[in-house]
Amino acid sequence: MVTKLLIFEGVTFGYTNRPLFVETHLTLARGEMVGLLGPNGTGKTTLLRLAAGTLQPRQGNVWLDGHDLRALPRREIARRLAVVPQQFTTPFAFTVRELVGLGRTPHLSFLGTERPSDRQAIQQALAVTQTDALAGRIFNELSDGEKQRVALAMALAQQPDVLLLDEPTAHLDLKYQISMLDLLQRLNREQGLTILATMHDLNLAARYFPRLVLFQQGIVADGSPVEVLQSRLLSRVYEVPVEVGILRGATHLSILPPQAGHDTPSHTMLDVQEGEDTKPPEPYPLVHLFGGGGSAEVLMRGLADAGIPFSIGALNIGDSDHALALRLAADLISEQPYTPIAPGTAGQVQQRLNQVQAQILCPFFIGLGNLVLLRLALDAARHGLPTVILEPGTKTTENGGEGSGLSATVASRDYTGGEGAALYEELLALHPLVASDAAQAIRLLTKTLSARAARKGATSSEALP
Amino acid sequence: MRTTQPRSSLSEQASQAPPPSTSPEAGRPETPLGKRPGLKRWRRAVVVLPLLLVGLCVAMLFATALGSVHIGASEILKLLLNRTGLFHFRQTWDQTDEIIILQLRLPRVAGAALVGAALAVAGVLFQGLLRNPLADPFLIGTSAGAGLGITVAFLLPTSVLFLGFGQIAAFAFLGALAAVALVYWLARVGRRTSVISLLLAGVVVTALMSAIQTLVVDLNADLQLRFRSVFAWQSGGIAVDSWNQVGIVAVVVVLGLAAAMGLASTLNALALGEEGAAYLGVHVERQKALLIAGASLLTAAAVAIAGLVGFVGLVVPHALRLLLGPGHRLLLPASALGGALFLVAADLLARVIIAPAQLPLGVLTALAGGPFFLYLLRRSGQDYRW
Repeated sequence: MVTKLLIFEGVTFGYTNRPLFVETHLTLARGEMVGLLGPNGTGKTTLLRLAAGTLQPRQGNVWLDGHDLRALPRREIARRLAVVPQQFTTPFAFTVRELVGLGRTPHLSFLGTERPSDRQAIQQALAVTQTDALAGRIFNELSDGEKQRVALAMALAQQPDVLLLDEPTAHLDLKYQISMLDLLQRLNREQGLTILATMHDLNLAARYFPRLVLFQQGIVADGSPVEVLQSRLLSRVYEVPVEVGILRGATHLSILPPQAGHDTPSHTMLDVQEGEDTKPPEPYPLVHLFGGGGSAEVLMRGLADAGIPFSIGALNIGDSDHALALRLAADLISEQPYTPIAPGTAGQVQQRLNQVQAQILCPFFIGLGNLVLLRLALDAARHGLPTVILEPGTKTTENGGEGSGLSATVASRDYTGGEGAALYEELLALHPLVASDAAQAIRLLTKTLSARAARKGATSSEALP
Repeated sequence: MRTTQPRSSLSEQASQAPPPSTSPEAGRPETPLGKRPGLKRWRRAVVVLPLLLVGLCVAMLFATALGSVHIGASEILKLLLNRTGLFHFRQTWDQTDEIIILQLRLPRVAGAALVGAALAVAGVLFQGLLRNPLADPFLIGTSAGAGLGITVAFLLPTSVLFLGFGQIAAFAFLGALAAVALVYWLARVGRRTSVISLLLAGVVVTALMSAIQTLVVDLNADLQLRFRSVFAWQSGGIAVDSWNQVGIVAVVVVLGLAAAMGLASTLNALALGEEGAAYLGVHVERQKALLIAGASLLTAAAVAIAGLVGFVGLVVPHALRLLLGPGHRLLLPASALGGALFLVAADLLARVIIAPAQLPLGVLTALAGGPFFLYLLRRSGQDYRW
């Protein structure tokens, strides 16, 4: 028995040439119940299809029960994994019993006759979903709630190890939402059924799923509801301010959308949970970072540990730095996935640079799409913004003198045919600070910031009479 | 305080629920048997399938008996039983009657039965594959392909026999298959064939081939004189003149029917759409190719000995679906029997209504099938469900 039932191993996929997500890793152990969250159109349903083998990853592998999905015949997949699609239609007047019987398709012999074991599985599926009273009814004449239960019964008749559900509560009223999720929870707890379901309703997800995965062109967060449902993270991923807390008298997290006319949600209903980072307003960023592709990862963690609020951007959604910045940055400037930095986004960066007290350039790959960021950084440096260049592999002095060998390392990550390197040369002429690792960058930054503060203090005291 | 729902009640109810197979009515008086089509369908099948078989035998016997010379049904039975070698009834009939029956009428009746079975089953296959109530065997190019093939056959100066079939029958068969192959190839993008592309390509190829056929006829003065023959082919009619032809068509049809039965559970799964079928373990693209191949072979075999006979593939499956439900394990054999019965009866009528002249079979099936189809659509004022 394989304990890791479903594994996404470095999966890259896109419907067009532009990838929808890159190098995604996700593992479901046998018996887990996982909720998949995230905005529309960011790849949740696609992930389910990849898990079901109806789409093939462009790179990487999906493993089901120890088998590579590509090598597993469809029939073998269907014996291990069942899917409850979001909506379920048939032009034929099948009865509920006939439709649930279709769930036995992967188990039938060539002649397709039902054996006693098939009939037993169908009977169980009908009983557990409480659809046996509907068995003789025509499926198309049922209500949405009943249809969803029949779809689930059909999937259960497959007797799968894993059940994938696409928005199982999307078309249901509150009563059916609760009974559907209660049923899934019971199947998970009592029969050990492994469940992966996409969910839009964060409150229901928080209540029923012990593990949540927040997905936005890649996994942004993966863990318990408390770890994943953080207001800053959700506000940024869903692009609306939300507040997370525990409703008075409840035992699970609740997520509240903003009230009309308020930028930040009111505190009237929520007892904000201890340790939750739900205390607006955000600290004002002192330093702006340029990063991407993981180049700013260590620095962001270091700054967060040091308690220095920072902003970062522009980063493409789905970038690994973006996923981390969603949690750590005081402000994050996002660009659509796999697109060049748009003029509007560049304007946001420029505005941010006017407000911060320093900037740090991480060793990100320079392409035509993000070259504009270097221009902005150079411009800001010319106007006197203290600048730190983080460049591993350069030799630097303790006080951050000009790193020798910087030109060579810049050239190695310049994909603009020399334009990027030229901008760096101009930047170097302004004598920025150069750090060879993140720790040094933070030391240089704090030194600069305190020097600025002291100077500011001095000038303001001089101004006083 | 996690929830106010008594969660344990679900499992209690589930475990206490009576197995409906033993006592389907227990505790549910609000769902009388009449409103439980699932049970009714299988009970009906037990009646309907044997009834269709008996009906087919009777119809074939009548079709053999009636004609220019009337030969009694009992005589035909005796004659046939004698041929088995097991029975030895005294011969009370003319030797010429025996020749008429064995060499002329029976091949024709058997041919009609085969054509009807083939077209009805092809209709079921296409309707199931395309999930479209209007799909008929000629939808994806077969008719136009056969038409063009026939026209080309008329143009050729040769007169070749293929396995005992005339040039025209052979070209109709090949034209139908070629058209479907073209449609399938056109609709195939990458390694997938979408149903919509298949329908569109079918429409385009049909239009294109009809245009070419018209053009060919238009440019050829000689052909215009013989256009009635082309037209007769296209309006359908059983044209068999030897057991050899019936035998070959029978082999194709029986293979096609067997393949169709093997695809029954695939068709059921496809009712949920291609993605839904894939989730149920169906290798959709492969099965789709098999379905198209099987249905087209059945259609082409029918076209080879009967021309274009419409409505069989539409009316018979629909009528039986209303009786037996959409489950293909019942629907396919029932449609084969029903289609055979329908066409034997239609061919009989085509021969006797204006005897000694004959009506075109395709015209008769349309005249009989059209109103029946309308009746099915509008019956008891309820929304049509199929």
